[in-house]
Amino acid sequence: MTATPTAGPAGGPPSPTSTPSRPEAHPGPASTGSRATRVIGLLALVAIGLLALYGLVISPADAEMADAVRLYYIHVPSAICLALGCFITTGASALWLRRRSAGWDALAEAGAEVALVFAAITLLTGSLWGRPTWGTYWTWDARLTSTAVLTALLVGYLALRRLDLDPDARSVRAAVLGLLLVPNFIVVNRSVEWWRSLHQESTLFRLDPAIEGDMLVAAMVGYLAFALVFTWLMIHRFRVAWLEQAADRVDLDAALAARRSEAQAPPSAPSAPTEPSEPSAAAPAAPVEPSGAATPTEVPSR
Amino acid sequence: MIAMTHAGYVAAGWLATFGLIGGYALSVLRRGRTLSRQVPPEERRWS
Repeated sequence: MTATPTAGPAGGPPSPTSTPSRPEAHPGPASTGSRATRVIGLLALVAIGLLALYGLVISPADAEMADAVRLYYIHVPSAICLALGCFITTGASALWLRRRSAGWDALAEAGAEVALVFAAITLLTGSLWGRPTWGTYWTWDARLTSTAVLTALLVGYLALRRLDLDPDARSVRAAVLGLLLVPNFIVVNRSVEWWRSLHQESTLFRLDPAIEGDMLVAAMVGYLAFALVFTWLMIHRFRVAWLEQAADRVDLDAALAARRSEAQAPPSAPSAPTEPSEPSAAAPAAPVEPSGAATPTEVPSR
Repeated sequence: MIAMTHAGYVAAGWLATFGLIGGYALSVLRRGRTLSRQVPPEERRWS
């Protein structure tokens, strides 16, 4: 299950494997993990176990939704993580446009990708909840439609980041698109109030929460578990984006060094024209273009 | 086993959620390991 070492950074083609100056083995962390992420990951696993216990076993069935309420404990936290990812991407995009610091660009990319994962979970669990509750997996309701538009925007953002463009121009375009995520999320959030909607309004974040007892505990454990998972994913994904930028720089430095050594090499003495050697039987010569093509002694310029 | 209404929808939702999160987490870790081998240690300042 090892990934090919030729995989290039996001937004660019695969890197050449023959880069001579690229180091292959270094001391230091061999992954994006650290002590902090290991602690957060462990806490997230414990919280997920507690969530399963409360959400699937201890929590009673709802009077109206029956056991479909158990999807609520993962659907709403996913939607909150989607919102967090959008806010991080928009904020980091704005800061990148202002300060042009590579860290903000990496954070914006990480936020969008993690947000897309939670957008997919939100739509999926919402559909699975809608079938027994509304009688359909999907309807063009304001909340559902605006969430689908937000998901499409995230897909477009990440597709834009993978275009083969000048990295700076690509980051500018992605950042401009990233600025639209929070306004779009506000439309999603307010859609149940602005338009007639099948989707219920806020259950928990109001003065008189509509759930209590073990259901409230299960919901709280769900928020905690998803917050930990989101944090863990964000830290790792940010480090991946950071490493992708570093790998890009390593590639660029290697290419520049190769060009410099080419330019500094003493010009070789012009060699006398030689007769082409006889093609051997073991290694037949490649066919030569009749005119305008490189002869075997020429080195194509790059 | 606990008697549950809509058990299929609940199971599908939970399995898909944690399957997706787990798969994505593994892919991020794998990308991180691959890239860590390609960049000098001064670019990996976390520990």
